[in-house]
Amino acid sequence: MPKFTLNDQPIEANDGQTIIQAAQDAGIDIPHYCYHPDLPIDGNCRMCLVEVEKMPKLTPSCTTMATEGMVVRSSSERVKEAVRGVLEFLLINHPVDCPVCDQAGECRLQDYYMVYGLHTSEIPLEMKVRKRKAIDLGPMVVLDQERCVLCSRCIRFFEHVTDTGEMQFFGRGDHVAIGTFEDKPLDNPYSGNVVDICPVGALTSRDFRFKCRVWFLHSTDSVCAGCSTGCSVRIDHRDGTIFRLLPRRNVEVNQSWLCDEGRLSFHELQTGERVVRPMIKGRDGIQAPVTWEDAVRSIDSRLKEIREANGAGSILGFGSPSATNEALYLFKRYLGGELGATHFDFRVDSEDTNVAEEEDQVLRHFDKHPNSMGAMKLGLMSAELCGIEGAIKAAREGRIKAGVVIYFNPLVRRRRDEEAEGRVLELIDQLEYSVVLATHRAEWHQSASVVLPVAAWSEEEGTYTNFQGRVQLAGRAIESGGDALPVWEVFAMLLHAAGAESPWMASDDVFSTMTETEAAYRGLTIEQTRLPGAVVVE
Amino acid sequence: MTKILLANADKPGQNTIAKYRERGGYKALEKALGMESSAVIDEVKASGLRGRGGAGFPTGMKWSFVPRNTGKPTYLLCNADESEPGTFKDRFLLEREPHLLIEGMAIAAYALGCHLSYIYMRGEFGFLEQPMEAALEEAYKAGILGASVLGRDFALDIHLHMGAGAYICGEETSLIESLEGYRGYPRIKPPFPATHGFLASPTVVNNVETLAALPWIITNGAQAHAAIGTEKSKGTKLFSVSGHVSKPGVYEVDLGYPLLDFINNEAGGIPNGRALKAVIPGGSSVPVLRAEECQGVLLDYESLLKAGSMLGSGGMIVLDDTAKMPEVLSVIADFYAHESCGQCTPCREGTGWASKVLRNLVAGEGTKADVDRLLKIADMMEGKTICPLADADVMPIRSFVTKFRSEFEALAAS
Amino acid sequence: MIEFSEDAKQRYKRILSHYPDKRAALVPVLALAQREFGGWISQEAAEYVGKLMGYPPSDVLSVATFYTLLHTKPVGKYHLEICRNVSCWLMGANECMDEAKRVLGVRAEQITADGKFSWNFTECLASCGTGPAMQVGDRYFENLTPARLGEIIENLGND
Repeated sequence: MPKFTLNDQPIEANDGQTIIQAAQDAGIDIPHYCYHPDLPIDGNCRMCLVEVEKMPKLTPSCTTMATEGMVVRSSSERVKEAVRGVLEFLLINHPVDCPVCDQAGECRLQDYYMVYGLHTSEIPLEMKVRKRKAIDLGPMVVLDQERCVLCSRCIRFFEHVTDTGEMQFFGRGDHVAIGTFEDKPLDNPYSGNVVDICPVGALTSRDFRFKCRVWFLHSTDSVCAGCSTGCSVRIDHRDGTIFRLLPRRNVEVNQSWLCDEGRLSFHELQTGERVVRPMIKGRDGIQAPVTWEDAVRSIDSRLKEIREANGAGSILGFGSPSATNEALYLFKRYLGGELGATHFDFRVDSEDTNVAEEEDQVLRHFDKHPNSMGAMKLGLMSAELCGIEGAIKAAREGRIKAGVVIYFNPLVRRRRDEEAEGRVLELIDQLEYSVVLATHRAEWHQSASVVLPVAAWSEEEGTYTNFQGRVQLAGRAIESGGDALPVWEVFAMLLHAAGAESPWMASDDVFSTMTETEAAYRGLTIEQTRLPGAVVVE
Repeated sequence: MTKILLANADKPGQNTIAKYRERGGYKALEKALGMESSAVIDEVKASGLRGRGGAGFPTGMKWSFVPRNTGKPTYLLCNADESEPGTFKDRFLLEREPHLLIEGMAIAAYALGCHLSYIYMRGEFGFLEQPMEAALEEAYKAGILGASVLGRDFALDIHLHMGAGAYICGEETSLIESLEGYRGYPRIKPPFPATHGFLASPTVVNNVETLAALPWIITNGAQAHAAIGTEKSKGTKLFSVSGHVSKPGVYEVDLGYPLLDFINNEAGGIPNGRALKAVIPGGSSVPVLRAEECQGVLLDYESLLKAGSMLGSGGMIVLDDTAKMPEVLSVIADFYAHESCGQCTPCREGTGWASKVLRNLVAGEGTKADVDRLLKIADMMEGKTICPLADADVMPIRSFVTKFRSEFEALAAS
Repeated sequence: MIEFSEDAKQRYKRILSHYPDKRAALVPVLALAQREFGGWISQEAAEYVGKLMGYPPSDVLSVATFYTLLHTKPVGKYHLEICRNVSCWLMGANECMDEAKRVLGVRAEQITADGKFSWNFTECLASCGTGPAMQVGDRYFENLTPARLGEIIENLGND
């Protein structure tokens, strides 16, 4: 643990840390383009030069180890002058087309210019090296070679993270440009990441480009709901609309990365028709809207009738591996604790319990639900039913009469989803009495006895437990439309209607109750579910 | 003056192994193989031999940095990527004395415990590829290379590796990167090639002229070598002289030989009755010397440094009083812009910018501010990059502009 | 689909045998491919070399574009590279380039209509004492004058 000083401030570095890393950990930002914490060091941009006592030349802080007793300066006049020079060099051939550049507002050239530059351009326009602009690199990325600072982050990403090498430098000297072979589109499930790590406007997002200036966006920390990996993300939104998902760095889960499917998964929320009102099917077989109060009272009394007639064993709780832990906990508490139901499951698909099966070597898992592990930890797996097929069979045979089903549309779709949806429909069809909590309308809509509109991912706060058993908090970014409520709130109302204790005002209240009663989560605090999340053990 | 390198180079047909052996060739290797390898290193250290590629680092010391028994092979790479403008002395040796080089390499390899070695020759020397391959073939056939060098328990393979056109590959880490099959981007040091060079193994990169000096040193002894030259610059040095001289060519002189004597005697003086204006003594990367600054300057590392320039590669360019210095600098600056690898920002952008400003000035479209701008660009580039290419542009820019400022300003005014 | 000739395949094997690591052979193999496939590295050639050696074509092309002797655009059968550096320039390299342009009737990097010639400047060829110098493939021509350059072009054209 070497101790050194940076700008006269004592800093203790971890063994093997470079100056820039130790500085970042201490909250001191040293300007840089090419350095990235999750990529191999390259040292090409020369922006992070610092002054180290006893070293004759300025040295890059990204390549220089922090050593005991080192005296480092990153804010001396000599360093500032060098950084200003590097910045001026980077801008001489830059097109300075900020007004039409989508990076504006999160561009390191702009940011550092305001701090270090503020110089007048000394190069006439006709002297600038011209390169190619607006090159289409597939569904995720647009390349502008003129804006590139040649930091090689994108190249290193494809070389070291995905091991595919699509992007390269071509040419030499000030004619070097980045690109793909023959402008081939990036056929890589992680290509969107290079847009994030590009410090300037050279690589912009095909999906997000020109949709909104970034300074109008609000950000909410969340967890990607696209698969059981549970990558930390940031939801950027404005006026109730999500504009983009960006990875948040979580060294325990996704480093700085996010897969393209996860990145675009929020669009799935915006497709299809939402369920907006609680609906109850009348004696005429037609569903009519009701108030939540009426819906809750009706469900609770009807389930109790069925229990009286057929026993608690005739009630099925069919949860969703996409629901939050808080939702699943109160679901179980109401149906199991209050009504005495014994049949619980959540598996619509064989992948759901193989939460740790990798789809590739980078991030993705086959299980496209964010909380299968959470459902498992809450014990929502019936050994008797073994998933939805068993539930359908039991319903068909009349052993199960009533069912409460939570169903979320998958945000990352696979071909097998249609079959899974068919099985849900079949289960609902077979039940005498079915309560379906859903975000979107689907084929089973007409079959269900009761349909309840619920908040989708990004519309509610709650925790998910990923494939590692890591509990992570996902925040609420936007409002859900209509009368939709978070699932946990629906069951809190049902518990209240049933005359049970129901003191929860927010999802984190539910979380703390859960940590008191569920062995797997015992002792956890909601704070621990923030970055990087806490791993729960059996 | 002693001829360590060019004793026979002027005679025709010396490039065959038969001729080479006739005059005692490969006897030095025989002698070296009879010594402890550490004794060979000591001998080279004691000889005072310094790297002849440009940096002038003591060769024996460079060798002593190579760790032993690392479990990895040690590689010896011969830097035959001679590309420094004004320099053509290695070419002279490669053409005429291939066996002198091979013998030198074999001695160095033995000293270093190296069994696989490459000659990295610049791609432009395509016309030397076959002759060099033929010389290596001869050496294999004669049992000088291969599983048992001269019948001893020492194996050595030497392969010729052709570059493909990149000045930067003469920088040793770039050479290694290029030899490994990548773009020739210089590497960040540390780690140094001595421990992490070719294929992350201990590696020594030596210039052709350096290696070719070894047989003489082994044959005649370190003391004989150290007796030549000055206190700190030992031995002889090849100078390739070009530009405004009557007898351009490659000459071997003792280190410490007077610069002006060299120009007037060896190089035949300035032709056409013109007067000397300036000398670039060690390849285009070193600071230019005005004629009056050449007075009393000796051709050795220290004297040239004291005069404000460097010995460099020994690629001397002589300019007479017709030379237009802004134009000369423009040509030089174009070269560095063309050859910058593009890795580090200051070099990539600075060399290009400087070359454009100079072209503009030479075209009569510049301003006085451009003259200062050149110095500013030099300041912005200097000492901020991974390798010395940017500094190699800084040195001529700064020396030309400051020493011949009026010529630059005159252009701006017109 | 392009492929190495039998002779080139033998050469390829020989090149590989020189290195403990296959990657080290890439530049020599690219030079071989250039000789084999019409004097330049086409995209097809880059793909072929990439496939042969197991590297992405982008990687192969990236390496090729670093080295001036590897051409990633077509050149004439005789590609004349005239040194523009200081010593050659002092001895009249510019006049030689003007002559090349005049005689061939094409600008730098352009190919004559018959496909025989193209020309360009090059940097120092280590012929400073014998400049102006010119490289054409594996041959050097030195002590050039515009007149001598004209003769050389004529002789090459008669080949």
